[in-house]
Amino acid sequence: MTERSLESSIARLLTAGTYVSVTLIAIGVVSLAIAGTSPLDSAPPFDPARLGADLAALKPAGFLWLGILGVIVTPAARVAAALVGYARSGERPMLVVSALILIVIALGVLSGTSAS
Amino acid sequence: MLGGGVVAGVFGSLLGLGGGILIVPLLSLGFGLPVREAVGVSLVCVIVTSGASAAVYLERKVANLRLGMVLELFTAAGAVVGGLVAFLLDDRLLAALFTGMLLYVAFSMLRRARAPEGAAAPESPAPSAPASEGRRFIDSLSGPGYQVHHLRFGAVGAVFAGVLSAILGIGGGIVKVPLMHLAMGVPLRVATATSNLMVGITASTSAIVYLLRAGIDPYVAGPTALGVFVGAAIGSRAAHRVDLRVLRFLFVAVLLYTAFEMGRRAAGSG
Repeated sequence: MTERSLESSIARLLTAGTYVSVTLIAIGVVSLAIAGTSPLDSAPPFDPARLGADLAALKPAGFLWLGILGVIVTPAARVAAALVGYARSGERPMLVVSALILIVIALGVLSGTSAS
Repeated sequence: MLGGGVVAGVFGSLLGLGGGILIVPLLSLGFGLPVREAVGVSLVCVIVTSGASAAVYLERKVANLRLGMVLELFTAAGAVVGGLVAFLLDDRLLAALFTGMLLYVAFSMLRRARAPEGAAAPESPAPSAPASEGRRFIDSLSGPGYQVHHLRFGAVGAVFAGVLSAILGIGGGIVKVPLMHLAMGVPLRVATATSNLMVGITASTSAIVYLLRAGIDPYVAGPTALGVFVGAAIGSRAAHRVDLRVLRFLFVAVLLYTAFEMGRRAAGSG
């Protein structure tokens, strides 16, 4: 995989991830308005186990959480795509850099979960 | 909230800033949210704005992906630390730190507005060190017409940018752009685009910490992020029709007023 095609793939991934996430957020905002809920009302906390049920019930919080999750995960998916690209082209230093970024992100997840 | 997000997105896009610098004061001063909660929402917004524009910068070959990835390893590390530190800081201290940042950006913009357009960028000296393994790696991070140098200094600065981003809910461009441009010899246009690309990882790493520690309110984040996204799209289309010099002075006035109000909040009277 050439640097140019890797950059194009990453650009497409970023665009798709951003637009899908923003669409989900937009659906959540519209449902929030239809339900007459104020943004300053108390919101349900993030609970991955409840996400599926909230989406199935078409609850605004389900769409909003999934959209926000999409926003947060898209950059990490970009790094994962770069890791695959650099692995294919045999670029060891950049492969290591990509892997280390993903490890740091995992540390963020660990520190967030252990502190909560 | 949606309208405020649109305004933040338009300003941010026109002036090359993430919306974070306006979102935190908007939510904390305008809607009474605690500063830390506003920071969590702001992080989501800056990732949204960076996502779409970073893709364009990559397609146009303006952003330096390799350099961005090397530096974002350090901004991400800083963001994890900053995300944890932010939950230890008092709301008034966060407001005081934000006030300092607003004043810094206001005076930087004022200086830039007075400077002649197209001021010369620093020269990027040609490589002089022997072609060691490290030198070859640094060379692989350089782009057409410029040579990256002072990578170690850049890494330290990137950690600081990550900490700042996580604590204040900004993209960190106020540190990364001067760092790459002035210290590492990267042309301003490339530094701005690369910084934009890096915002995604920097902000999402700390946003994970905020998300898992109940620091993001989806009801507030939804309309604000949507507004910023729409505003950034409007801003990028209107950029060529706006007198940026006038806009900069207007923005400086907004920043100074916001700094005054945030300062009052930090002092406990806002």
